[in-house]
Amino acid sequence: MEREFYLQLARDGVRLPIAADMVLHEREDPRACRYCGECLGEVIMEAAHRFKMPLAFPLMDLRTEKEWMLTHLGVPLDEIDSFHFDDDLDEASISRLAGLATAAPTKRMEATLGALRHVAAHADKVPVGMCIGPFSLMTKMLADPIIAAYQVGIDPEDEEAELVLKLMEVATEAIIHWVRLQIDAGAKAICLCEPAYNIVYVSPRQIEDDPAILDTLVINFNRRIKAAMTERGVDLILHDCGELNEAIIRSFNSLDPAILSLGSPCKLPEVAHLISPRTVLMGNLPSKKFYADSEMTAETVTTESRKLLGAMKATGHPFILATECDVLCVPGCEHTIMSKVLALAHA
Amino acid sequence: MNTPLEQLTSAIKAGKRKDAKSATQAALDAAIPPAQILAALGEGMADVGRRFKANEVFVPEVLVAARAMQNSMDLLEPVLIEAGIQPAHTFLICTVEGDLHDIGKNLVAMMIKGANFKVVDLGTNVAPDVLIEAVEAHRADIIGLSALLTTTMPAMREAVARIRERGLKVKIMVGGAPITEGFAHEIGADGYAPDAGSAVELALRLVEAA
Repeated sequence: MEREFYLQLARDGVRLPIAADMVLHEREDPRACRYCGECLGEVIMEAAHRFKMPLAFPLMDLRTEKEWMLTHLGVPLDEIDSFHFDDDLDEASISRLAGLATAAPTKRMEATLGALRHVAAHADKVPVGMCIGPFSLMTKMLADPIIAAYQVGIDPEDEEAELVLKLMEVATEAIIHWVRLQIDAGAKAICLCEPAYNIVYVSPRQIEDDPAILDTLVINFNRRIKAAMTERGVDLILHDCGELNEAIIRSFNSLDPAILSLGSPCKLPEVAHLISPRTVLMGNLPSKKFYADSEMTAETVTTESRKLLGAMKATGHPFILATECDVLCVPGCEHTIMSKVLALAHA
Repeated sequence: MNTPLEQLTSAIKAGKRKDAKSATQAALDAAIPPAQILAALGEGMADVGRRFKANEVFVPEVLVAARAMQNSMDLLEPVLIEAGIQPAHTFLICTVEGDLHDIGKNLVAMMIKGANFKVVDLGTNVAPDVLIEAVEAHRADIIGLSALLTTTMPAMREAVARIRERGLKVKIMVGGAPITEGFAHEIGADGYAPDAGSAVELALRLVEAA
């Protein structure tokens, strides 16, 4: 779509709380609904209507790609979340993962694609797809990802470093294939989440010594995913809710996202000048605190929302008020969380 | 020329695991008492912890230092056992039930180990029953509970409640992205640490106060 569409959303004062999970958990059987394309599509449309969002934002489900890759390697479904390669990620596994594009989609993927088709066919909302970034996917696959990634900067020819880069290579291809399937199902924008791209996983000292490490480890791989979106006229919504420094924030510009969604550790009014004015900044109410009034009341959400809107207006940077990340349902706290999501949507 | 102990401390600070291993071997070959070697290791990790708190080094540097320390400990541990040298306190750590995140937990475990605690790492997604059993089996002095998700904070509350119900005389400290001092107090934990460096200080304070 034209970039102007997103800039206009910012001018119109649209809000984008990412809270489809809350609506999903209002269903009688959330788990069954998660695996039913039509039901999931209804949830996403209802969230878009309830929060008055022109974008039909899906669940921020970052398990999809890991599950697909490991299922292909024969890892049992109930072991996937806790499964990590230690020193047993060998060339044979990498080769098998390279053939992933021909593998059948998982049930999770089928439901997501069904939901996208449902939204595209029934709603007046922009269908948004979802994928994890290759760096974050790599960190979910390895037992010791921080040390392994650090090693890439210290000694790229080290066996551990080579394996990281090979894994990211196949991860990138898997993500591109997943993005294309979602575009085929009707996605007009894709939210790419790279929450692990932060100063916990990438040392600011290492960045200072060698700024190119950001390209080597993260940006170059994401550039290929962005290119796969661009060739189909689909827009990039980039999400990173981690703790970032200036170098990381600046590096997002080279991906030219339509929207950049950042987490609450980022002071948006202070970092806005680092971001291209073509990119709408989005964020970043601390939704991790929504579960308890002792942490944040609905009134505080309203006050903080207005404060942030005012501060961002003063910067002149296009901005959409949103949650810092997806709002997850906490059993027993549903009502208080929803009251804050609605306070944000109507602030 | 630096002594093996100086070389060992430097290797830990720089996170050079091969150097740490060879310096440890050199120290053992020179018949340096194992307690002194352990102190040199601790000095290296303490320096890393200080620089981490001062934002001079970051998580990756801490982890490579911790890995270097572990490589050294692999050589040193059998000698320490033979000499009857054991850590005075046992620290049991896990991520609470329903939560699979482990970076913060691992970081705290490494730093606590560097401060010469015996660390028992139960891993992630640990149910209260498993935790209680482990506290009793290892006679833990302190438990460290970690949670990254707001959705698993109730599991942290449950774990603390179950340990208290059981009447175990163990200190409980908590941490993780959504955790606050207020939440720690509310659920009846003995302390909250916002980062790994503070976790070491808190653990030392808790065992001193016991």
